[in-house]
Amino acid sequence: MSDVKKIVLAEDNTTLSLLLKFRLEKEGYKLLIAVDGKEAVELIEQHDPELILTDIMMPYISGLEVISHVRNKLNKQTPIIVFSAAGQEEMVLKAFNLGANDFMGKPFSPNELVIRVKRLLR
Amino acid sequence: MKSYQYIIDYFENSPTIIQVVWTMSGVFLIGVVILTIYLKYLRSRLRKDEKKVAEYKREYESDLITYLYAGNDEEEISAEQQIIIDKLRSCASDEFKRSIIVSKLLRLRNDISGEMADAIQKLYFQSGLIAYALKRLKSKKWYVVAKGIREFTQLRVKEVNDEIVVFVNHPKREIRKEVQLYLVTLFHFDGLKFLDILQTQLSEWDQIQLLEVLQRFDEQEIPDINPWLKSKNNSVVAFALKLAKIYNQFEVKDALIELLSHQQKNIRVDAIHVLSHLHVVEAKDILKNNFDNLSEDEQIEFFKMLENVFESSDESFLLAHTTHQNFEIKLLALKIIKILAIEKFVNLKNFSTDDDYVKIYEFLENN
Repeated sequence: MSDVKKIVLAEDNTTLSLLLKFRLEKEGYKLLIAVDGKEAVELIEQHDPELILTDIMMPYISGLEVISHVRNKLNKQTPIIVFSAAGQEEMVLKAFNLGANDFMGKPFSPNELVIRVKRLLR
Repeated sequence: MKSYQYIIDYFENSPTIIQVVWTMSGVFLIGVVILTIYLKYLRSRLRKDEKKVAEYKREYESDLITYLYAGNDEEEISAEQQIIIDKLRSCASDEFKRSIIVSKLLRLRNDISGEMADAIQKLYFQSGLIAYALKRLKSKKWYVVAKGIREFTQLRVKEVNDEIVVFVNHPKREIRKEVQLYLVTLFHFDGLKFLDILQTQLSEWDQIQLLEVLQRFDEQEIPDINPWLKSKNNSVVAFALKLAKIYNQFEVKDALIELLSHQQKNIRVDAIHVLSHLHVVEAKDILKNNFDNLSEDEQIEFFKMLENVFESSDESFLLAHTTHQNFEIKLLALKIIKILAIEKFVNLKNFSTDDDYVKIYEFLENN
């Protein structure tokens, strides 16, 4: 069995996804990218990742719904980091209430994200 | 041939109205066919364009990521980065490709910070994209100029400050708004210096947007707002009053007191409101002595101020206004008396025969 830890990244900005994929794969993680919440849920169910990174605002299924699905439907305690933009403070609180473990406000530093990912996957 | 002849004969022998109807039907039919063909062409062209955009997006996205990760500590620009810079520079001359490259840069710049964000800005300079945006500032079309300024704001390009400041008093509101957002987003409170030279009106919406941007910053030390409180531009004074309240600028109390005699009523009312918020007791006596000369809105605002700064010496003044014709003033006067001298309040209540007053007393007793 492979030791590589899988991370599902749900983000509709494809350039940001690609950038984070490169950065996190350099750190030895396997990135599975979803462009919306629907794809994210499918990837989570298929691959059972060790960590989930999700944007709050996404097409079809929002980040909040992804968190709710993982915590309430799949009953998993997979660590979740939420990305939020300025003005989404209330959404972040909702994300924490639903079971998110951490959040990063956009714009964020990819290096800081790596530190947080490592801390959660320690 | 025979059937054609039959149709022609039928048409020629028909009454005029039938001929007109047939002609029109023919014209419409041809029109529908032409439109259908045109729509099909348009749709296929749009799909082609969409495909092309998606292809370019993928290509530039990958170039951008390669550029960001191709840097090394030894060289300022690595060979791999130089190849990408040259490629983007040549693509930037095509407007269609340039818009895709810029949109990719902007989208990523909005989402990331730190070294990578600096690298994106560097690429914007190196690929010559900045020159195209600067060219936009010289356009005669206002929306092109506005979009150019917005691009600089989103990419945090501080170096073009001088080129942008010249638009501070531009007749088009949209351009002025973009300039203001550029200055405040990039230079924070220092960016507010445009208020020194602003001659046009700063709308309520503009003010809200500027305050919203300012609240995002960690540093909350604001420059001296005294000159703006004394500005000849009333909208600048109104905005400075908001700043004084939000950032608790007690040190400008003298300028605020001066505004009590401002020519515009709204400013005087706002000044009382801010003085009340800052608990400037000196303002109370000035307003009290001049109470009868104040407008009704100022009088109401003054009573709201009294709620915060009343003293026992205000009792007679308050009692004199319990019968004021304005309901709000009457209510506020009684409300303060209830706190200041409950026995006087009870006396007033016991001697009152007016039903309206009884209702006010009962309301105040229960609240």
